[in-house]
Amino acid sequence: MIEIYGVTKIYPGGQVALKDINLRISKGEFVFIVGPSGAGKSTLIKLLFREELPTRGQIFFGGKNITRFRPREIPYLRRRIGIVFQDFRLLPEKTVYENVSFAMEVVEASGRDIRKRVPHVLERVGLAHKAKARPSELSGGEQQRVALARALVNNPDILVADEPTGNLDPDTSWDIMGLLDDINKRGTTVVVASHARELVDSMKKRVLQLEQGSLVRDEERGVYSNEI
Amino acid sequence: MRFSTIKYFFKESFTSLVRNRWMSLASIGAVASALIILGSFLLLSVNFDHILKDVESQVEITAYLEDSLDQDGISRLDKDLAVITGIKEIKFISKEVAIEEFKEQVGRELLEGIDNPLPNSFRIKVNDPHEVASIAEKIEKFSGIDEVKYGKGVVEKLFNIIHWVRVIGLIIMAVFAAVSIFIISNTIRLTVFARRREINIMKYIGATDWFVRWPFLIEGMVLGLIGSSLAIGVLAAAYNYLYITVKLNLPMISLLPKEYFYDYALGFLGIGMLIGAFGSSFSIKRFLNV
Ligand SMILES: Nc1ncnc2c1ncn2[C@@H]1O[C@H](COP(=O)(O)OP(=O)(O)OP(=O)(O)O)[C@@H](O)[C@H]1O
Ligand SMILES: [Mg+2]
Repeated sequence: MIEIYGVTKIYPGGQVALKDINLRISKGEFVFIVGPSGAGKSTLIKLLFREELPTRGQIFFGGKNITRFRPREIPYLRRRIGIVFQDFRLLPEKTVYENVSFAMEVVEASGRDIRKRVPHVLERVGLAHKAKARPSELSGGEQQRVALARALVNNPDILVADEPTGNLDPDTSWDIMGLLDDINKRGTTVVVASHARELVDSMKKRVLQLEQGSLVRDEERGVYSNEI
Repeated sequence: MRFSTIKYFFKESFTSLVRNRWMSLASIGAVASALIILGSFLLLSVNFDHILKDVESQVEITAYLEDSLDQDGISRLDKDLAVITGIKEIKFISKEVAIEEFKEQVGRELLEGIDNPLPNSFRIKVNDPHEVASIAEKIEKFSGIDEVKYGKGVVEKLFNIIHWVRVIGLIIMAVFAAVSIFIISNTIRLTVFARRREINIMKYIGATDWFVRWPFLIEGMVLGLIGSSLAIGVLAAAYNYLYITVKLNLPMISLLPKEYFYDYALGFLGIGMLIGAFGSSFSIKRFLNV
């Protein structure tokens, strides 16, 4: 699904965020990206959906070299990727329903598909009863569920999440991780950058560890850190 | 493009127009004022043009003939002159006709008993008033022609004035168009700014650049359309009033009939829309970065 070959990212200021990364993520995998602050986790995620371009190296998505994509091809790449952020990024003046249906309007889905699909995903994240609420009336965990519904509504091949539980308390974080696991079990590839040590340890998923831009560990059924 | 998508674009544009209603009103007002000034100038210049065209078409050459030229010579010269390109009409004015016309003008009694001092002449009309000078020069070279007159200086001055009226008119129009574009682009910039979160999210979800642009373009065009409609209404009322007043009080000045105005109205709506589209695309390009 994703192949990364010799990717180095140096930001315009000269900051080296990633050094010679090589890795492969297969369809249906659940992958954690861990590492201390500034290790390059967010940068690696941003490279996947062409928010950033690598300075050197190639990235393939579904067999296509996305580093060669022209700007007008990028929207079609992103339609295959569901993206979730730490800060939810919901639209405050839209209802829960509208925040999700918005994602389908944006990709020019038909009205009929929208009316069929939105209630279905809201059901899946357990928020069907809050469809008419606005984000300000929801807890952080519920807001992140809306963001997950929005990321899922267009049936992406892969879901990428940059610290999806970073703003949530431990209990709510468990819920969200459970939901991500559930989404993965239904066939969607999931990539999560996370600081949440206990969560990562208990999930027993593949763990990629970054240190100062280098990939120092790639372990199936890994834990957050090998030290101690 | 799907119907539901088009519906979405219009919904978004109008929501944003209403949400920023004060800014929308301000920019409609600004566009309307700019277009009213632009329109006033346009009307002034087309009317000025119209009046000057009247004058232009009256420009003619008078070629005085030598007294020694007999009837045969005159008709031969008439045929020779007719070969010059750019001449529309040659009319022979005999010295008798000329003195009659002169008497009409200055009063019969004054010239009673005086020998006719006026020569025979040709009165020549040309196709293009701009060629009067060069044609007059050619005519002067024929033998049998004594002197050529065509209001030298006056004609040149007139053309100079028309030329400058047009140049200044175009410059002022360009300036006002630019001002309108600037105002609209500022309004759209505000809506882009107010909606930058939404735009950011749209781009992560996979919206194409055009999908992001359309609502802003529509918003700009709607602002331009409303502004220009307002300007048309104001101008139509004012021109109607002016036309009637001039017709009653200054009958010798022929303004363009007010029906002409309706031809311009459609163009005006087009200009308003274009200004709106241009203003918003300018803003989108600079502030949306899509
Ligand atoms: N747009 C940017 N311009 C310049 N430098 C940047 C930019 N984004 C990130 N960096 C730098 O690149 C390095 C890696 O940043 P990145 O955001 O990928 O780290 P991270 O692992 O996500 O950290 P955190 O856990 O704090 O989110 C850091 O040193 C950061 O300062
Ligand atoms: Mg980060």
